[in-house]
Amino acid sequence: MPTTLAANANAALYASMIVYTLAMLAFAWHLAARAPKVAASRVEEREEALVGAAAPHTPERRQGSRYAAGPGFEESLQSRQRGNIALMLTYLASALLVASVAMRGIAVARPPWGNMFEFATAASAAVGVAYSVLAKRNRWQWLGVFIVTPILLVLGLSLAVLYTEAGELMPALKSYWLGIHVSVAFIAVAFFTLAFAVGLLYLVRLRREESPPAKPNFIESLPSSATLERTAYSLNMVAFILWTFTLIAGAIWAKQAWGAYWQWDPKEVWTFVIWTVYAAYMHGRATAGVDHRKSMYIALAGYVCVIVNFTLVNLVSTFVGMHNYSGM
Amino acid sequence: MATDTPLKQQAPRPEPALPELGPLGLLRWGWRQLTSMRTALFLLLLLSIAAVPGSIFPQRNIDAGRVADYIAQNPTTSPWLDRLGFFDVYASVWFSAIYLLLFVSLVGCIVPRTRVHVAALRARPPRAPARLHRLDEHAEVTTSLPPDEALDAARDALRRKRFRLHSHDTTSLSAESGHLRETGNLLFHLALTGIIVGMAVGHLLGWRGDIILAEGQKFASSAGTYNTISPGPWVDTETLPPFVLSLDKLDVEFNETPGRSFGTPRLFDAQTTLQRDPESSASRETVSVNHPITVDGADIFLLGNGYTPVITVRDAKGAVLYREATPFLPQDGNYRSVGVVKVPSAAPKQLGFTGFFLPTAEPTFQDGPVSLFPDTKNPELALSVWEGNLFPGGAPQSVYTLNTDEMKQVTKADGSPALIRLKPGQTYELPGDRGSITFDSVRRFAGLSVRTDPGASVSLVSAILATLGLILGLTIKRRRVFVRVAPAPETVGGDGRPATVVTIGGLSKDSDPGLAAIISAIATAVPDRLAERTDR
Ligand code: HEM
Repeated sequence: MPTTLAANANAALYASMIVYTLAMLAFAWHLAARAPKVAASRVEEREEALVGAAAPHTPERRQGSRYAAGPGFEESLQSRQRGNIALMLTYLASALLVASVAMRGIAVARPPWGNMFEFATAASAAVGVAYSVLAKRNRWQWLGVFIVTPILLVLGLSLAVLYTEAGELMPALKSYWLGIHVSVAFIAVAFFTLAFAVGLLYLVRLRREESPPAKPNFIESLPSSATLERTAYSLNMVAFILWTFTLIAGAIWAKQAWGAYWQWDPKEVWTFVIWTVYAAYMHGRATAGVDHRKSMYIALAGYVCVIVNFTLVNLVSTFVGMHNYSGM
Repeated sequence: MATDTPLKQQAPRPEPALPELGPLGLLRWGWRQLTSMRTALFLLLLLSIAAVPGSIFPQRNIDAGRVADYIAQNPTTSPWLDRLGFFDVYASVWFSAIYLLLFVSLVGCIVPRTRVHVAALRARPPRAPARLHRLDEHAEVTTSLPPDEALDAARDALRRKRFRLHSHDTTSLSAESGHLRETGNLLFHLALTGIIVGMAVGHLLGWRGDIILAEGQKFASSAGTYNTISPGPWVDTETLPPFVLSLDKLDVEFNETPGRSFGTPRLFDAQTTLQRDPESSASRETVSVNHPITVDGADIFLLGNGYTPVITVRDAKGAVLYREATPFLPQDGNYRSVGVVKVPSAAPKQLGFTGFFLPTAEPTFQDGPVSLFPDTKNPELALSVWEGNLFPGGAPQSVYTLNTDEMKQVTKADGSPALIRLKPGQTYELPGDRGSITFDSVRRFAGLSVRTDPGASVSLVSAILATLGLILGLTIKRRRVFVRVAPAPETVGGDGRPATVVTIGGLSKDSDPGLAAIISAIATAVPDRLAERTDR
């Protein structure tokens, strides 16, 4: 029985990758529809400015939501339809991915994140679900392509490089802390990922606000740089709280497994490095006189550390420590 | 902002002019710099960068053997790296300097902020500014309620939202909420110091001892019986718990399904008999990975395992010189293990054997001694023999290495080195009447670690408080809301009743989508009150 379940898990994984690919294309198609409308709405904006203070509300107010599109942007019906199609596809793909992770978990009768392949799949599922839940409410269709593409990359790479047959856990991982510590870790990573994508868009948007380009593109249809920055901050904040919990849960587990809650083994070092970098970001953001752009650079550096923590620290033999549980 | 106490606490200060400061002023200036948030930011970044080398270079606290290997392989750079502390990063001067500065900065920051915060908790919300429509969020409603009733309605609505209220005059209302944000923030920073205190306590009062115990062996805990013991500076090693532990059996399973996880461990369970102190009776206990057992506040962990071949060395007449279960330490996932047999009583010269134990030997040895699987499917010993002085200079040495400075490799009659390959039960006659060596059998050993950390609970409680503080400090919004009432210039609905204009304004410290909702809730509370009154 478990073998058929594991096979179904793999089938669901492939299916979700196909649907994610369609979603990615649809999101790109959606962005293409956003761009030209901007030029038109810019004209309106200028007219509005000429009329002067007579306009009682700014366009942003009229949108009603802080997270809605940028000032002066009225989304076309076409763009909206394409965005919604893409979003539906993302829901479907994420549901398939969650089903895949769940089936794998049932097949092996344990939390399905016991090796790198499983962690990568579960983290991708978390990114997909977090995005799906937040996108509808906040109208984040513009973000889709920047989320779905990395998910596809990670899934493809982990299938190609990291794939591991569903199997039993090594003794070091047989603990309910695996369920707690690791799941919170990848949910945190999911939020860091969303924040990273929004943060990058913020920097691009900000540059183009400071020196407007001759030809506007979809970037000009995004929420204002200030809104993007706040969004990234909120996402990073959630991720940081979860990461703090990951760190503490890891220390508790280490105490139980190895007798010492902190030994500076490479995985612990990098978890700590990530934590301090994001703490520095939080500080920078709260310090008057440090501009938000600089703080955002710190947050992006933090995300690079997240990537290093998952890739280099796990795969390169320089970083040998207690987490490489190879028999001894 | 038109409030008298600014919400943003960290307003940029004018840079002090250095030359005019006396020594005391300079000190004060330095202190202020150290405890500024910019410095904290800088030190945090520095700390994260400083932590990285410890994950790249091998560290003595994790694996001293790897450090020694690294130094041997990089003879030019490693003495410098060693001098600069790169093999002991987390005990190095520079790493300690950064976190101690951060610690001082932290304390220097918590104390004044606590003082400010306590004053803020006692203070009344400030007087409403004159022009409320200039605030971040604002609303205006005109009602036929009289001014005092309109103000009452707003007051009730704000109270329901847990605002602290004060009226400086009869036509305005000031409200404030979210002091818990700063409380949480302070709790978080204070708890960070608690974690550091817990770590210090653990370092000073904790100890750890490691034992390698073969199946069938017995261990009586005391300062002298551990293979290695590292007590904290304040630990009295005469007061270690006097338990006796014997390893009856070590159950181990490895994955035998071909594939990527072939040979990975599946199960480690140490079946032991434990006597907690000399008076008490013995009980059976299982120690396994993730499931330590506790004795007298010390936890016993199963951290490692491997093989102890039972080896007998006899002299030429057949008298037994050495018979021991000799631990060989695993080097890789398939338990290719290295070990040493030292026979000081051999005559005329002392004998030493060094080499490998292979649980599943690759039979041809074409790539040297290699093990193909971690379990004992085809166990084999591969040793070379040395003779001479085992302990040059009488210096103490590790039981796992053979010092061959004053030894010579034993050769066969044809001059080639004697290489011994033995399966269980086999005996090898040493060349030149030096006696024989027998591989009797093989047993497993458990690597057990006994540890105490009296500071762990302090750190744990602090960590939980820090998380709580962090959640409060990041999610709670600090808000001020002001309400003003004034008679309207015109009546409402033209029925001659006097009307009141209610202006509501609010501000928040950071991005705060909830503020607008609160303002509109108060704005609707006023007409609701009117409706209630007319219903009556
Ligand atoms: C171990 C070192 C420190 C760590 C890990 C740390 C971490 C943090 C974090 C995560 C926040 C939350 C950010 C936010 O509220 O937006 C914060 C806020 C804050 N920290 Fe620290 N901090 C440290 C040291 C310090 C020091 C030395 C100071 C003193 C200058 C300080 C002053 C503040 C202040 C004033 C806030 C409040 C910012 C706000 O209200 O938004 N911190 N800190």
